[in-house]
Amino acid sequence: MGKAMGSEPLGKFYSGKKAKRRREWRGFRDTWYDYVHWLGIWKTLIGFMLHLNNLRAFFRYRWMVNYLAVPDFFDRHTEGLRGTQLRITRTALELVVTDMCKSMGVMFRADPALGNDKALNERLVVFDENMMSEIMNGFPNLKWVSVEVPAVYTCAMMAQDSLFYYLDKAQEYGIPSDVCPMPAAEFGVSLEDDYPRIGKCAIQCNTTCDGSLMGNGLMAARMGIPTFQLAVPIRHDEDSVQQYAAEEIRNAISFIEEQTGETFDWDAFFTSMKDFNQETAHLLEWYEVSRSPYPQFTDNSLSLYRYAVYMAAGGREKEFLRRDQKLTGLVMKGYERQEPCAVALRHRAITWGVQAAYYTAFAGWLTNCWGIVPLVDMLTLCSTREVNTEDPEKALYDLAYLYEKMIMRSRSNGGYEVGVADLWRYCEYFHADMVIMYAHMGCKSMSGYHGLFEEEARKHGIHLVWATHGLMDARGVGRKDMRTEVNRYMRTVLREEPLDPSLEDFDDGQAW
Amino acid sequence: MKDLRHIYELEKLLQEAHNELIRQATDRGEIAIGSVCSLIPEPLLNLPGCFSVRLRAPRTGSMEMGTYYMTSIMCEACRAILERAIEGGYQFLDCILAPDACAQMNRCVENIEHLRLCDKDGFFVTYADVPMKSDETALRHYVRQMRQYILDPLAERFHIDTSDSALQKGVALHNRICRLLTDIGAYRAEQNPRITGYEFAVLCLVSYCCPKEPLIPVLEGTLEELGNRQPDSRPPYRARVVLAGSEIDDPELIRLIEEAGALVVADRFCLGAFPGREEIVLREKEDILTGICRHYMEGGQCPRFMNTDKINERHTYMDRLAKRFHADGIIYQQIKFCDYWGYERAYASRIMREEFGYPVLSIDRPYAVGNAGQLRTRVQAFVESMEIKKIKNRSRN
Repeated sequence: MGKAMGSEPLGKFYSGKKAKRRREWRGFRDTWYDYVHWLGIWKTLIGFMLHLNNLRAFFRYRWMVNYLAVPDFFDRHTEGLRGTQLRITRTALELVVTDMCKSMGVMFRADPALGNDKALNERLVVFDENMMSEIMNGFPNLKWVSVEVPAVYTCAMMAQDSLFYYLDKAQEYGIPSDVCPMPAAEFGVSLEDDYPRIGKCAIQCNTTCDGSLMGNGLMAARMGIPTFQLAVPIRHDEDSVQQYAAEEIRNAISFIEEQTGETFDWDAFFTSMKDFNQETAHLLEWYEVSRSPYPQFTDNSLSLYRYAVYMAAGGREKEFLRRDQKLTGLVMKGYERQEPCAVALRHRAITWGVQAAYYTAFAGWLTNCWGIVPLVDMLTLCSTREVNTEDPEKALYDLAYLYEKMIMRSRSNGGYEVGVADLWRYCEYFHADMVIMYAHMGCKSMSGYHGLFEEEARKHGIHLVWATHGLMDARGVGRKDMRTEVNRYMRTVLREEPLDPSLEDFDDGQAW
Repeated sequence: MKDLRHIYELEKLLQEAHNELIRQATDRGEIAIGSVCSLIPEPLLNLPGCFSVRLRAPRTGSMEMGTYYMTSIMCEACRAILERAIEGGYQFLDCILAPDACAQMNRCVENIEHLRLCDKDGFFVTYADVPMKSDETALRHYVRQMRQYILDPLAERFHIDTSDSALQKGVALHNRICRLLTDIGAYRAEQNPRITGYEFAVLCLVSYCCPKEPLIPVLEGTLEELGNRQPDSRPPYRARVVLAGSEIDDPELIRLIEEAGALVVADRFCLGAFPGREEIVLREKEDILTGICRHYMEGGQCPRFMNTDKINERHTYMDRLAKRFHADGIIYQQIKFCDYWGYERAYASRIMREEFGYPVLSIDRPYAVGNAGQLRTRVQAFVESMEIKKIKNRSRN
């Protein structure tokens, strides 16, 4: 037990049950900081539950129970952290929780089964889970919501068994077990009527993959509100598709205008997009630090935070920009003090493919156990192009480009250049010597490159370590199996010893 | 029934991806274009001087290399095609003009390209972005993409005439084949059809995998022959079904279904007649390329079309087919690991059963069916259930 990173074996905290044996001691200062913020999370959650609608939602929607694991989620993602990096992770992820609570509060208020605020319901536009919200920046009087995010996406990160019930329901309906579990679980929730039935209209998108697109089609039939399907071009790196992409965005805007009676407000749009551009500038600064020997804001804290900034908040929520400024301050402080991000930075890694939603803390384990620091993940590496904030026509094209480069689809669609070739460019950019290759068993888009990844990695002299998983279904390949694949590579190929041997083999099969 | 005069010769053509008709055409100096999806309109690939070949992997055995490159969770059709490419089975191709439609097939083609598995001089691959919705915005995009990724490369690389008059010829050839197959297929609507689903599948499939011109006399001869063909007085079939789903590039599956007692009277799948062998009707005063694209977009029944109208249209289309061919039931099938048909099969099976009242069999299957006993048993059980239903209906009436 001590102040320094790696001062106690972290594997011994795992009890084989849901909760850990005890909280980590990080020295007085860091433990105090962590404890106060842990209490802060409880305060946010209790504040949320004090609203009657939210409390009733807890009994109406079975997936709500998973949010009891939020404090544990934070413990998982701060495991082994000290000093500035502990603060960076807490600062980033706490805002995501606050924002989620706010968004869920809106949904439950409008939900006919709970708050039944009809006036609010008339102002809600329901977006597909994998779809960014930036179009809504031009509709300041309307509200963006995504019912799938709290019911499926974030649920899966809270507890590893959170979606088993819904996956089973989808399979009972006839959906094959070999498709991606994310759209399958989304459809399962829909079959169980476990989404709030809200919204004036909905926008769906051909988001991440073929399965996701098909799941949306089935769900549209069950939502019962007018739905626009936004077809974003697949070959999004080609100039030849940009016109169509822009025309489709225009069609989506027209659809919202027709359904809600609102008019797209370019001034409001530009104001939000200026903030969005600033947020992108902050991201680029963090990348610069990650390229150095002292990376600070890395992998999962970064990716989960960026998901909220890039896809959900989209420049509309001022608090995110303020938080970005604070984070940049912390990142620069850590960098200037040359604070290490691991007991030993043995390998600079990029994680590619989609991460396991039931094991988002895997990156932390890589760092603590083997000194593999995942600098950045594939999902974060989207567009960093500035959006025009003066000319509506140019802005429309930029917005369309942004939609083409949504999280996940920017890599899972678009072909070899963005799916494979970009990886080696990023390895060079971030001075990475290793790629942790997430092999999501239901993801056909990335699996189709399996052999090419191996051959290209050899050519580029990069260590390619596979980590197989089931995205939101831990029953096939669990957390331990993911670790075992890495352990084997590290011991047999690289012949390295773990930094923390207690983390090499431990039982978290029953943990949240 | 007596065997059709040309059936043996056509079956033989289907035994090889690089078959005799393709050899003859390439010897004449015609350009062989690899095709992998129905969303690239066939008339654009069958202009004077070139012809399309829908890639298949007949007589597939092991797919180990394909599986190494694409993993075991990918569609077996895609893996089998990649395996065949690795074996050198598509060396005759001058190019592959593919859409980026289904991700799995796209990965298959990208593997072929990046592993340099076709080494004919000047071989190239293009990927077009094809529509996922049916509306005027998508149509304009479709037309631009077909011009840029299909017609322009053919003109620039191979000096193929891509003018409107050449496109007219392409459509005329396509329609001629479609008319012949439609007339042949119409016999399947008879009470006691004089052609089996298997025989029709052979005729239809060769039209996707071979140069079209040489097939015309064969199809004309077959049509004439069918006019006088006498069906068996006591056919061995106990039920009539529409077969729908993901691509079927091996008529053995249909033979298996028919041997189990279900006559396949309509084929609504990729490489079947519906909608792939429906004639293109061009609008007056509309640019010909737009007309062709409109036909493929508006008539397309691929589950990739994601707008709700199209989803619903797929069910009514199926209903129309079942009625037109007096089907007793519907079989939805998919090749394992197909995301599109995985969802579509589950959903459409329910809709067709619950809302339209058809008995439905829903199955997933391997790419190479062979003598799959399990599949045979399932079809037999389905046929029996339809028979029981018929008996019950009769006794009720």
